[in-house]
Amino acid sequence: MNPDTLKYTEEHEWIINQDGIYTLGITEYAVDELGEITFVELPEVGKFIERGEDIAIVESVKAANDIYSPVTGTVVEVNDILDMEPDLINRDCYGKGWIVKLKDVNEDEYNDLMDARSYRGFLKTVDQ
Amino acid sequence: MMRYTPIAPEYARHQGRVVDFHGWGLPLHFFGIIEEHAHVRSQAGVFDCSHMGEFVVRGDTAIAALSDMVVGDLVALPVGRCRYTALVQDDGGIIDDCVAMKPAHDELMLVTNAGPLHEVAALLEACVPGVENISHRTAKIDVQGPLAFQVLQALGFDDIRELGFWNVKRREDGLIVARAGYTGELGYELYTPNSAAVSLWRALMELSPVMPCGLGARDTLRTEMGYPLSGQDVTKARTPLEAGMERFIAWHTEFPGKQTLLAQRDSGDYQVLTPLRSPDRRAPRFGYVLRHDGRDVGEVTSGTFGPSVQCGIGLGYVPLALAQPGTSVQAGPREQTVFVEKPPLYKDGSGRNPVT
Repeated sequence: MNPDTLKYTEEHEWIINQDGIYTLGITEYAVDELGEITFVELPEVGKFIERGEDIAIVESVKAANDIYSPVTGTVVEVNDILDMEPDLINRDCYGKGWIVKLKDVNEDEYNDLMDARSYRGFLKTVDQ
Repeated sequence: MMRYTPIAPEYARHQGRVVDFHGWGLPLHFFGIIEEHAHVRSQAGVFDCSHMGEFVVRGDTAIAALSDMVVGDLVALPVGRCRYTALVQDDGGIIDDCVAMKPAHDELMLVTNAGPLHEVAALLEACVPGVENISHRTAKIDVQGPLAFQVLQALGFDDIRELGFWNVKRREDGLIVARAGYTGELGYELYTPNSAAVSLWRALMELSPVMPCGLGARDTLRTEMGYPLSGQDVTKARTPLEAGMERFIAWHTEFPGKQTLLAQRDSGDYQVLTPLRSPDRRAPRFGYVLRHDGRDVGEVTSGTFGPSVQCGIGLGYVPLALAQPGTSVQAGPREQTVFVEKPPLYKDGSGRNPVT
């Protein structure tokens, strides 16, 4: 994925709509903060998730972090390679390290998310 | 205002990521926690531990005064030996866990942690005649790993070959070397004046088996051994008995809180710090409540992924009756199962191996 085309949250997740399938992952900033990722708990396919509900858990050596869904939708696919290779997220967080795909997503919630430029601006305020 | 060790200017050469640890700017990692951890288990890692406290106590009277403040018998500590002990307050709570070393017959060095350093310094200065706080002018470099002796031999430390596990000596150049550490591997702690610290650090970095390591790997390595961390697993809210230090308590000596500890020991009714092991890669985490048979029974005080054991591990307090290897308890909001274990969780450490 090209980071410039993604939507972002203040919790350092990214999401993108490709023909009605929304792919979700965590950003480079999140990965840098977490350090080496050692375990990912994925949701069940078919699960309906409301915005703000936890959708996955990403654990690193340092910490366990809940990932909250930035949109309402239904899980259509999970990246189960992460069961064996959780550090794929470290190596390729915008590509092979995606976490979940959703469908039937609330588009208004999606459209309200930050674009890449806004997210970069947000990061500057975080690092102060 | 963040404090830095004399070695801190060197961190940037190795892209160290610096974090605040009890007011000290120390490296969390250089290459990555897991890589540094694995390197210490297989070769040799070097840690800057200069933030720690060192106090020198000279003469029988002063050594006896110090011994009265800790749960161990430091008067009986033989020359050339180190002993793990704890400074305790009147209610039996642990002020700090520490290591006493005796490099000479009338001299003892107490090594303490960064967190409670000011309090420990004030306490020692009030109670131990002539105690000298050398923390601000002493650097501590830990060389840890199965190749630790070869590394130091390459720097001319051939004279430490005969040092056994938890032995200490002062070299002719004045440097104090203790065969100890916090990783479970063969290792040496080097205590040197600040002025010599950077050149020693640089000389170590020149050697190919050596990797600089940060607090992150130090934490995963010590957790795999079941060693507690001061201020986290070991606090004033816990007694040495609770902290799993029973074998380091010299009951024949006097120390603060002794009556509390005797009552606790005789009742058998207390929580004890125990290693925890997860059946999978998910880790218990600091602050997680521990439950057993539907009741809250304790808490997790350390938790991480164990790179050498390849599963989630931790330390936590459970009632003595539950501190049996194999007991299952549920940890945290998702009630994940973890098993009580005996230390160490990682059993293949080179710490006690003979040096050849």
